[in-house]
Amino acid sequence: MTATTQVIPTAPTELPRPRPFSSFLRNRVGVLGLVMIGVAVFVAVFAPLLAPYDPYARTSVTILDIYQPPSAAHPLGTDDGGGDVFSKLLYGARVSLIVGFAAAFISLLIGGAIGLVAGYFGGRLGSLLMRFTDFFLVIPDLALLIVIVAVLRDRSLVNLIFVIGALGWTTTTRLVRSQVLSLRERKFVTRARAVGGGDWYIIRRHILPLALPLMLANTVLVISLAILSESTLSFIGLGDPTVVSWGQMLNFAFERGAVSASAWWALIPPGLAIVWIVLGTTLLGTAMEEAFNPKLRRHYLEADEKAAVADLEPIGVTPAPVAGPDAPILSVRDLTIEFNSPSGPLRAVDGVSFDLRRGETLGLVGESGSGKTTAVMGLLRLLPPGGRVVRGSVLFDGEDLLTLGADQLRALRWSRLSIVFQGAMNALNPVRTVGDQISEALRTHEPFLSKAEVRTRTGELLRRVGIGPRRGSEYPHTFSGGMRQRAMIALALACRPDVIIADEPTTALDVMIQAQILELLEGLANEFGMGIIIVTHDLGVVAQVCDRVVVMYGGQVAEDADVATLYAAPRHPYTQLLLRAFPNVEDVDRTLRSIPGTPPRLDALPAGCRFAPRCPHAFERCAIEVPPPYVQGDASHRAACFLVETHD
Amino acid sequence: MSGRGGYLLSKVAWAIVTIFVVVTFNFFLFRVLPGDPAKAGTKDPRLNPASIAALEERFGLDKEVFLELSGGNPFDTQYFAYLGALSRGDFGVSYAFRDRQVIDLLGGALVNTLWLILPSQVLSIGFGVILGLIAAWRRRTAIDVGALSFSLFMWSLPTFFLGIILLFLGANWFGLPTSGRVTVGADYASFWDAAGDIVSHMFLPTLTLTLVLLGEYMLIMRSSVLEVFSEDYILTAKAKGLSTFRIIRDHALRNAMLPLVTLIAINLGFTVSGAIQVESVFSWPGIGSLTVQAVDQRDYPVLQGAFLLIAIAVVLANLVAEMVYSVLDPRVVEA
Repeated sequence: MTATTQVIPTAPTELPRPRPFSSFLRNRVGVLGLVMIGVAVFVAVFAPLLAPYDPYARTSVTILDIYQPPSAAHPLGTDDGGGDVFSKLLYGARVSLIVGFAAAFISLLIGGAIGLVAGYFGGRLGSLLMRFTDFFLVIPDLALLIVIVAVLRDRSLVNLIFVIGALGWTTTTRLVRSQVLSLRERKFVTRARAVGGGDWYIIRRHILPLALPLMLANTVLVISLAILSESTLSFIGLGDPTVVSWGQMLNFAFERGAVSASAWWALIPPGLAIVWIVLGTTLLGTAMEEAFNPKLRRHYLEADEKAAVADLEPIGVTPAPVAGPDAPILSVRDLTIEFNSPSGPLRAVDGVSFDLRRGETLGLVGESGSGKTTAVMGLLRLLPPGGRVVRGSVLFDGEDLLTLGADQLRALRWSRLSIVFQGAMNALNPVRTVGDQISEALRTHEPFLSKAEVRTRTGELLRRVGIGPRRGSEYPHTFSGGMRQRAMIALALACRPDVIIADEPTTALDVMIQAQILELLEGLANEFGMGIIIVTHDLGVVAQVCDRVVVMYGGQVAEDADVATLYAAPRHPYTQLLLRAFPNVEDVDRTLRSIPGTPPRLDALPAGCRFAPRCPHAFERCAIEVPPPYVQGDASHRAACFLVETHD
Repeated sequence: MSGRGGYLLSKVAWAIVTIFVVVTFNFFLFRVLPGDPAKAGTKDPRLNPASIAALEERFGLDKEVFLELSGGNPFDTQYFAYLGALSRGDFGVSYAFRDRQVIDLLGGALVNTLWLILPSQVLSIGFGVILGLIAAWRRRTAIDVGALSFSLFMWSLPTFFLGIILLFLGANWFGLPTSGRVTVGADYASFWDAAGDIVSHMFLPTLTLTLVLLGEYMLIMRSSVLEVFSEDYILTAKAKGLSTFRIIRDHALRNAMLPLVTLIAINLGFTVSGAIQVESVFSWPGIGSLTVQAVDQRDYPVLQGAFLLIAIAVVLANLVAEMVYSVLDPRVVEA
């Protein structure tokens, strides 16, 4: 048998990936930091040309020269020794920058080396090194600095640099180690090791280049810390007495009566100079971290309720039937969802319509990136930030979920419409017991229940899904993956909703558990007369439990039929190819074929039929026009393909 | 719950090891580095050899440093004498205040430092948590940008400089006391007079330290809350129909506090660094001032004792934080 058992190709339709460097330039905060550092460097380099006086020159002063306010001769006045504050300020930049850069470089070398070894080789050596690091992390650095500098005989700038650098490496170590740990397990590294790459070769060629950007960002932040350390030491009187630094200027002014003389000019400028350079490096470092570490964070509580309601375009299809005993419990019409991206809105779901009746199980099928999960999240108004419904109506028992007020929506959620999330691993709160999380749903939506009733109902729910009621007092981390999924189903059932949406309820579970969970869902649907939507990429699951199937491709519905019709007489070429990519129990000798090509990218959708570029039957019209859903045979079967065009 | 017991036991053991390492490091630092301070007192050219010998014997400097290997008791050395003395609470005698025991100086200073650190910690953690939560919840709004700018600026402001500014303003504009913990030699008419004097002395130093720590805690809380807001269980809570207030109170806060507890512990070093600077600006008679003063006077027993005390206090505070963590997070026992 020459079967290629490749299932559906899952090339994800990714959002365009931002390039780190250009996104850094767009980051005004980082540019501001860079400019601030640039100014400081310029001042430090050209101090002798810019300064009106040489702070190192010996001059005779009289009592009248001391603490003179700003004047034409001394733009920032004079200090306790009659020196020109402005000139000293310019020269002070040299010390700060030299100490900052040199000490951070030493820290980078030490921290990088320790982190690399601890992360790459791990084991006993690794944990010993991290203990060592923790030790230095715990001991207050300023106290340690003071003690070490205090016993130094020679407080030269070079010695200070070495001490500051030798104490400032702990954050670098932690960062490098965690970077290396995650890179070590990546495919290209294991592959390089498998073909016999030596450790140092792998580190040099594969690990360092990828860890470097974040290391640099961290080093910029270490520079700001080193500058702060030097100025603090100088302020305490432990700096290099032979050079002019900002900390020393503050030390002398503060110790020698600038406060009582109200000589603010001797105090404020050096302090602000430190703020300037530390702020500059901090801004730059933070911006670099953000640019090189582009975790586009989800934020489930960001201003959401309004966004979904505002500015809905009128729907472009026949509205759903409103009431009546035969009306579907859930009618979705023309649901269209867009995501913001740097290059404009991306349409992830486009004009999706389907119905769900009471007691019916509907399969929403498609490859990764077909928009099936986005569609259900959109109809529940649970889209991540950046996503919004731009058009459509979602009638749930006669009420439009998309225009419902926030309070009404909250009352309806879970009590009548609940969801089993994809990957129940993280869908349960780790610091609250499983039973507590189930009873929370009951307490919220059925506040008249007594404590005892809540407890009994919670126990019953757990028993229903095959979990001993006692285990309700345990935390999610003690549950296996399958048990968590079942606990999640128990949670979804808690208030006996009219509709349950299950997003990939069986992915990542082994076959036995899969079968159990599907049976459970099916049984419960029949028993309580609930409508169920199962979102899946697995046609086997659909065949096992669904009554109807909606096949999605590229954010649109390709075909919509009852399950028997769909498997027996698929009309859309995509459905046909999809079925051939799946093993069939009745026809084991059939060759499985994967569908050539990849699903369309959201930022480059075809103008006509979304499937046309991969379709073996495509003709000219497919590339120009989007096919509407054509009714096939009986009225409940529709396919969006010009090959099966019908006229009402 | 033997798992938790074992976890705590390992943490206690680790704390003991850390303290032991600090003690040893402390001992050798003051003997190995070029300053050679332990012997500095005996190198005064005005002393005759007999006096030097007497001094050396008194401070135990005639013994081997680490191990006695030329016969006799191998543990009859400076190092083990130091360990023995420490275990009796004997930190030696101050060079600068000849007859004062270091432990007595340290005890008073530590109490004063706690008077400074504790109110500042409570205030800054309280406000930091609230501000961080609001900033994270209202991410990318004016409140968030404002809070972020404030904490970035606070972070860039050296603590001692902020102290000087507040001292300058407080003294010149508001007539607030700027040095010490109480008015020296004051005779109070009533309890309230005394309390008022103490509070007015505390005001500026506490404000300085609180402001410096506030930005730090706000940032930590903000990123911790943002992390939690991206977790799937928050989406579950929202889908459950919980109000935003209940999602934050019942699901987000406890999870967001977890990293905060650890980070507050790690941050204690930062707090202590801040306290040293504040004390030195406001002449606050705490452990930081004592340290700086000891450096000026080359009073090495005091310096050594102060450093040891700071390190031990921080290690113990970390231990407490780890215990709190293990109560808050049920998963910790497995890890």
